[in-house]
Amino acid sequence: MDYNDEELMVVLMSREVRDGEVSACGALSHIPAAALLLAKEMHAPDAELIILNTVFRPFGTSRQFHFLAQRGELGLFFVSGVQIDRRGNYNLHQIGRDPDRPEVRFPGGYGGGLIYYCARRTILFRTEHTRRSFVESVDFISAAGHTPPDVLRLGGPSKVVTPKATFAFFKDVGELRLESIHPPHTFDDIRENTGFDLGVTRAPPTKPPTDEELMTLRGPIRRKMIDTDTYRAWAERTLGSA
Amino acid sequence: MGVPYVPVIGLVGTDLLKRRDDMIVAPDPFGSGKVSVVAKAMRPDVAVFHVDKADRSGNVSCGYQVEAVLLAEASAHVVVTAEEIVDRVTEENAIGGTFIPSILVDAVVHAPRGAHPGGMTGRYAPDKHAMREYVSASRDDASFAAYLDKYVFAPRNHDEYVERFVRQAETA
Repeated sequence: MDYNDEELMVVLMSREVRDGEVSACGALSHIPAAALLLAKEMHAPDAELIILNTVFRPFGTSRQFHFLAQRGELGLFFVSGVQIDRRGNYNLHQIGRDPDRPEVRFPGGYGGGLIYYCARRTILFRTEHTRRSFVESVDFISAAGHTPPDVLRLGGPSKVVTPKATFAFFKDVGELRLESIHPPHTFDDIRENTGFDLGVTRAPPTKPPTDEELMTLRGPIRRKMIDTDTYRAWAERTLGSA
Repeated sequence: MGVPYVPVIGLVGTDLLKRRDDMIVAPDPFGSGKVSVVAKAMRPDVAVFHVDKADRSGNVSCGYQVEAVLLAEASAHVVVTAEEIVDRVTEENAIGGTFIPSILVDAVVHAPRGAHPGGMTGRYAPDKHAMREYVSASRDDASFAAYLDKYVFAPRNHDEYVERFVRQAETA
């Protein structure tokens, strides 16, 4: 069955959700929101989902969400960055290294610089896999992938998902390495479009979305997103449009 | 909270931390051997923010701006501008978890469309046209000064601002 890049990312991210865990995503997170809902339908019926600013949230205030994360009860979080680097740092603040004269200034990370250290696992994602988004070192560290062992930290990055590949984060050395390549992309494609050393000389193909995953996503999950007004316009436009 | 500082999990190794002198990395005083960021409390003299509803006694429902509750609790004085003045705001009729009791509030100002050019969830969307103008004006000091002259200093009061700059199409 054919699929588009965003459907592929939804499926790959949904596979990271574990049954019985609390999993969450923040604002402007249509791909993670769909991934969370898909996981609950496919393999994690007892997953607790927190999708900010939608009906899928147990709290009225962000303070309650932060405190839950600080208590170590958040298993999985999804976050994107304008830039992501080899060390698992991400940048949501600015392009250009001079803090007083940035070329482009973004709204910043809200609580991401806290949640990245509290959630047990964080999946980084980026819909653009190019050398300008995957860089050797980010212009501004909004949240750090690796910290010294004496820093109080409950979790950190575990994986990166892009339209071309996945990377795994190796905590002991504090670096990302290419994990799998989405067919039909090749190792040379990935090397060409990634601004840092891939850490490996080859990688297996990614297990593509199954028909069951795609049909569930395009059927009940698309319906649920529309009915609950959860990134409705995106769901209508994207899911099933391959 | 009223405490002078709090430990925070996170932010170590970020460029944000390099830019702030009110957050430092400090050891756990109870000897776990771990370090974490410790953030100095902010105690504003005055907080001014825009809310959904208020009554004449100063009870406030801040709409979806839940962080405003923390701001009101932290500040010595609180001035709110409100979309609507109603008979009575109570904990029960405030939008979920966003009640600020009058004991924390010094003054209430009736200012419909007071979030403009920003939006007010549940009432009106941000004025994208005006926002774009603000963003381009903020590129340098001269254009920003001109912006302030036109939108902030020239109008005699809020009503005149609304009349001149809030487009009627947005009111629908």
